[in-house]
Order: sequence, then structure tokens, then C-alpha cells
Amino acid sequence: MFNQGLSLEQAPPASIPFRFFLTAPLFGILLGLVFFFYPLESIINQYSPVAIAVVHLFTLGMLAMIIFGAMQQMMPVLAGAVIKKPILFGNVVYLSLTFGTLFFSASFLFSNKILLIIGAGLLSLSFLVFFASAIYLLFQVKFLTSTVSAMKFFSICGIITAILGLYLATGYINENLGAQHLNFVNSHATFGLFGFGVILIMGVAFQVIPMFYVALDFPKFIQTKIPLIILMIIVLFALFLFLEIDIYVLKVIVSSMFILFSIYGLNSLNNRRRPVFDVTLWFWKFSLYMFIISMLNWLFIPQDNMFTIAVLFGLGFLYSLLQGMMYKIIPFLSWFHLISQGHISIPTMREMISEDMIKLQFLIFISSVFFFIIAGFLSNTFLYLGALMFIISNILLIFNCANAVRKYKQISKLNPLDTFIKK
Amino acid sequence: MTQSISACMTEDHRSCDEKFAQMETFVSQDNWVKAQSKFNTFNQNLEHHFNMEEAVIFPKFETKTGMMGGPTAMMRMEHEQMRNVLGQMQDDLKVKDKNHFFGLSESLMMLMQQHNMKEKQMLYAMVDVHLGEESEIIINEMQGLLTT
Repeated sequence: MFNQGLSLEQAPPASIPFRFFLTAPLFGILLGLVFFFYPLESIINQYSPVAIAVVHLFTLGMLAMIIFGAMQQMMPVLAGAVIKKPILFGNVVYLSLTFGTLFFSASFLFSNKILLIIGAGLLSLSFLVFFASAIYLLFQVKFLTSTVSAMKFFSICGIITAILGLYLATGYINENLGAQHLNFVNSHATFGLFGFGVILIMGVAFQVIPMFYVALDFPKFIQTKIPLIILMIIVLFALFLFLEIDIYVLKVIVSSMFILFSIYGLNSLNNRRRPVFDVTLWFWKFSLYMFIISMLNWLFIPQDNMFTIAVLFGLGFLYSLLQGMMYKIIPFLSWFHLISQGHISIPTMREMISEDMIKLQFLIFISSVFFFIIAGFLSNTFLYLGALMFIISNILLIFNCANAVRKYKQISKLNPLDTFIKK
Repeated sequence: MTQSISACMTEDHRSCDEKFAQMETFVSQDNWVKAQSKFNTFNQNLEHHFNMEEAVIFPKFETKTGMMGGPTAMMRMEHEQMRNVLGQMQDDLKVKDKNHFFGLSESLMMLMQQHNMKEKQMLYAMVDVHLGEESEIIINEMQGLLTT
């Protein structure tokens, strides 16, 4: 186990995380396109089939896609948990997640039950393979850090989300939703977004913020207690829903935890000791501010529908942070794999993707978030503008990331020894 | 109570990170004289850290566990990678190429942190298990390297 943990051959080839990262924005483009082909009202109503398709294009095609890609790289490094056959594992998870998401979303967009059966089957395969391996590996890790603990909680929540999702899909397939359907939907969403999404992001932030920005550590209480408290609250959440107990107290506690985490994260980033300008900080800071705003919105503003909070939380918080991570991981992996292959004359991390292009992409992305939000106050017409900007920002994201991947591929084809041969 | 080897080495990682950040600060201010001086300090600290591992911890660990070509070999290889990047950063300091310097420093930072994580997560934990009883002697021996 130990030898494998430190062997380069056991780390997944760069192409594995890259394909997950480059696919996520493609689903972003599909998500944006839905706004132009379906009535806006059906997208805003969270229980409509079109909204179910849109939500899963995001949660599966973008969120899970990036998280699964990043976890394959992070588990060996941050937890010493090495996947035995990384290429086979990566291919199975990637293909089943990609096609599963496509079939699943298409089934709701085109009201086709066969597509739903195939989609649910493929997604089950993807989640089962991923989480069975993750749980098996993470629960063997002896030296527990706050990140490893958070990864364990994330895995437990992930598998519960998948089981609840499969149960719901079966209800749609059998056309029998049952009296508790909405409680199952809300439990599925809570485990997915808070457990699968937030807990993992917290765990990664505990390591990444102090490490990459030479910033303050999160306080021990936040690192060790908050993920556990959140996990317990998610379980209580589901319990309260089924027992028909008011969940407001739980909302207050969980929002306070999230806001506390965001405040410490922002404080750490604002007082970082690395003076260098780093464009990924824009994504991190925007994300954490959006997290706070989304929680305040959830607590204090009565909601006609969940669209605004979904934009604040899903795009503003989750997606911006994941994009910031991708802009760090892709150039580093490109550089790292090239240097490990023995190449000497290679671009630095900062030369892999143009910083100006990242800034442009960020500005277009936040404009899409802005337009989506003001649509709720002014006119639904702004949803079209938001969707257009979202599509453009995802095209630019692919362009930027593919640029680094292209440079990596070009150089990795060369023989490193050619550097020493004078022509 | 004697400090554990992993606590001692993790503390040293943090100290190297601090020197690294100070070096970057001076480069960002175009203060090349102080940047060079901080670079030298950082380089010495990092080299001392590598020495503590390569000259003291790794041989003792290898003797005790019989693991000769595995984790310690990988760590030595990564030390070499970092030394190479440091050499290129020194070249950038000479020609005052700020952009290229920061491109490399970013890479070095990521490389160091990934390396540190592997050490903290696995190697040091194993070292504590196998060499825990000798920790006081080992820490003294490593600190003695400072003056040599």
C-alpha cells in the first residue's frame, strides 16, 4: 500500500482528470441551450421534468464530473489512497457518467422512459464504481487528516445520494411516485448538494487554501467538527422531513456553519502571505461570497421558487470554486507530468493558460450569474442573456483548459533528450 | 516530552513555506537584491531539509524496514526535481525575469506542497512508527547538520 502510494505509475495519467475537466463545460453549454428551446417557466419550476433535466445536467454533468476527475488525482496525494487500475477505473466512471447524464437528462426533456432506464443504469454503475472504491480506499487510511475525514463523509453522502436518486428514478420508471415523493426528492438534494458538494469542497479547502496561497490554517474546530456537524444535520434534515417536523432550526444551524466556514476562508485568503497576484483567487473569493449570500437568501427571503438560490449556490458558489480549482490543477498537472517525463524546456504553469483569457472568462461567467439573478426581480428575458453568457463562458473555459492540454500533448510527444541535441 | 519526527519535519515544511513567501514578496516589489538574499536563505533551508531526510531519516528508515527502492527513492527523485526548478529560478533572478520567475515559483510551490503532503500523509507517519523510539537521537542528529 505504502509503496504504491508514492509510485508515479500509480497516479492516474494526466489524460484521465483532463477528460473529466474538459467534459464538464460541454454539459454547461447543453444546460445553457435548454433555455432557448424550452419555456422559461418550466425551467424555473424545480419539480417540472425540464427543471429536473437542467438540475442534473449541472449536478451530474458538471459538479460530479469535475469532482470525480479531481478526486482521482487528489486521493493518492491528499489521502495516500491509490486506485489500483486507474485507467480502467477512470474510463468506466467517465463513460458511464457522461452517457448516463446525457440519457438521464434527455429522458426528462423528451419524456422517454427507455432513455431513463438506460440513464439510471449507467449512472448507478458510475456512482457505484466510484464510491465503492473511494469508501474502500479511504476507510483504510490510517493517518487521518481533516481532509481525509471530509472525504469519507463526502463518500458516504455520495452513495446515499445515489441510492435515493435510483429510488426516485425507479418511481418515475414505474410511474408510481408515492406519497413521500417530495420528501425523498428533498433528502436526495440535501445529501447531494450539502454532503456530496459542500463537505468535499470544505475538506479540499482545508488543505488547498493554506498550501497554495501560504495562508492561515482554518481553526481546528472548523476543520474537525464542522464537516461532522453538517453530516449529522443532513441526516436530521431527512428525518425531520419524513417526520414532518419544521426544519427551520436545522437551516439556521447549517447556514451558520457554512457562513462561518466562508468567513474563515475569506479571512485566510485576504491575509495570505503569498503576494503574487493569482487570478484563481477571484474564483475562490467570488465563490465564498456567493456561498454566504446564498445562505442568507435561503434563511431570510421567502422563495417563490428555488431558481435564484440555485443560481447563487450552484453557479455562484460551487461552479466558480470548481473552475478556480481546474485553472490550478490543469496547468500544474501539465507541467508536472512533462517535468516528470524529463522535459526541461517547457512552459511554466503561468504560461500554460493566458491569464488575460482567464480574466475574460471569469467576467463573462459572473455576468451570467448576474443576469440570472436579476431576471427574478426584473424580467425573465434576462434569463436568455444569462444563458447566452453562460454558454460563452463555458466555451471560453474549454478553450482555456484545452490550450494547456494541447501544449502538454505537443511537448509530451517529443523526446526529452532532443533538448540536448544541437541542430 | 520529546517532539515526534513528523511534528519536527512538518514544522520545518512550514518554515520553508514562510521563507518562500518572503522571497516572492521581494520579487513582486522588484527588490532584486533582497530577493536574491531571501532566495539564498530559502535555498539553504530547503537544502537543509532535504539533507535531514537524505542523510539521516531515509537511511535509518531503509535499514529498519528494508524498503530500499520504494518511497524514499521517490522522495529523493522529487527532491532532485525541486532542485532543478530552484536552479532555473536562480537564472531568472539573475536576468530579473519576473514573469518567468513567478511561473516557476508557482510550479515549485505546487510541487513542494504535493511532496509535503505525501511525506506528511505517509512517510513521516511510517517513520514515527518505525523510528519513534529513537526520535530524540534522530532529531538531534538532524539539527547537528545545521552546523556542519
